[in-house]
Amino acid sequence: MPAETHVEKGPLGRPEVFELIRDQLADILEIEPGSISESSSFAEDLDADSLALIELVEGLEEELGERTVGFRIEDEDLEDLRTVRDAVDYVVAKLGTA
Amino acid sequence: MAAPRPGPEASSPGGLPVAVDAMGGDNAPGEIVAGARRAAEELGIPVVLVGPPDQMGDTGGLEVLPASEVIAMDDDPGSSVRRKKDSSLVRAAEAVRDGKALAMVSAGNTGAAMASALLRMGRLKGVVRPAIATPIPQLGSHPAVLLDAGANAECTPAMLVQFAQMGAAYASARYGVEAPTVALLSIGEEKSKGTPLVKETHALLEDAEHVRFVGNVEGRDLLRSPADVLVTDGFTGNVALKTLEGSLRFFMDALLEVFASDEEAKAAAEVMLPRLAPLAAEFDPDGIGGAALLGVDGVCVISHGSSNATAVVSAVRVAHDVAAAGLVDRVARSVAPA
Repeated sequence: MPAETHVEKGPLGRPEVFELIRDQLADILEIEPGSISESSSFAEDLDADSLALIELVEGLEEELGERTVGFRIEDEDLEDLRTVRDAVDYVVAKLGTA
Repeated sequence: MAAPRPGPEASSPGGLPVAVDAMGGDNAPGEIVAGARRAAEELGIPVVLVGPPDQMGDTGGLEVLPASEVIAMDDDPGSSVRRKKDSSLVRAAEAVRDGKALAMVSAGNTGAAMASALLRMGRLKGVVRPAIATPIPQLGSHPAVLLDAGANAECTPAMLVQFAQMGAAYASARYGVEAPTVALLSIGEEKSKGTPLVKETHALLEDAEHVRFVGNVEGRDLLRSPADVLVTDGFTGNVALKTLEGSLRFFMDALLEVFASDEEAKAAAEVMLPRLAPLAAEFDPDGIGGAALLGVDGVCVISHGSSNATAVVSAVRVAHDVAAAGLVDRVARSVAPA
């Protein structure tokens, strides 16, 4: 574990990361969490525009920053995140290396 | 339509100032600071300027909230708000969020102003996407409220229904209309006309809560609107707005050319121009006071990029008036289930 990293609330597994992203997306998009799956496309299935994705990113940074110091989603990586699965994979990888 | 606009008050609720982004717009900071000073002096509305203190010039004793960075007009909205956390725009939105300002005003990057307000103030519960509401001047009446004027290029019918609800709340707060009427912008008055989005929205609006729907209107009705609120998607709304602005400017230029064409016309101009001046003022964007971002948990007024001091005075007045009239609560109630 890098020196700047600490875990306060226990590690997050992949299912918990998906739940976190799903719940935040549901709140942002005002839709039912159950309508969001890992295969959901942000643009085509969820009608999420770029500002909605930035809301998601800021929300994730706030939530995960409390657990893992230095957690950040880079702006240049955003365009590669097209589905919920992409976002889950990205966050899981980041949490492993943050 | 009709009903008087609530007049500006000499004091703000709680004594809170309107936060003005001193660095936003083509004429910043000079015209922005000058407008903020005039708003404080002429309207008695407290103002706090947000930006780098060493770049603002003479602030006339106005309170200053320091911010070291500036979001440029051509910066990417989302990433600039994330990257420039100490920018005048972001700090102005935070001042509203933190209860240090009654409302914010910016003539800067529209997308970044929207992103700042959305990310710092937050969305109101139940609002799917915020929308930009802009006044469309009307002869002999208060302006109609057009939304969305460009925040959401692609919309769903449910979003347009919310725009109708939020627009009605805005017409009440800004113009004192008790039960605003709503029309849907289309290519014909019949409900069968228009895109699938328009037709589905028409059906939903007929049964929507908090909406007095009067049917479709066409583009030619924008300046003689039968309704207090005109609803459309952000792409169409922005095209309609810019078309109107360009047409009015073209007409004014053409009129002035005719008046300067020969000696007889110049003599006529001496008589006619003073009579036309009040009409021109009524349609002057500088006097209208900017557009409001509806659906966020705070008041954000976005003035046009070329704003001069007069436009800033108007925007501060509008921001103050709608905040004092409880705009945010009205919008929140408008989208809440009955």
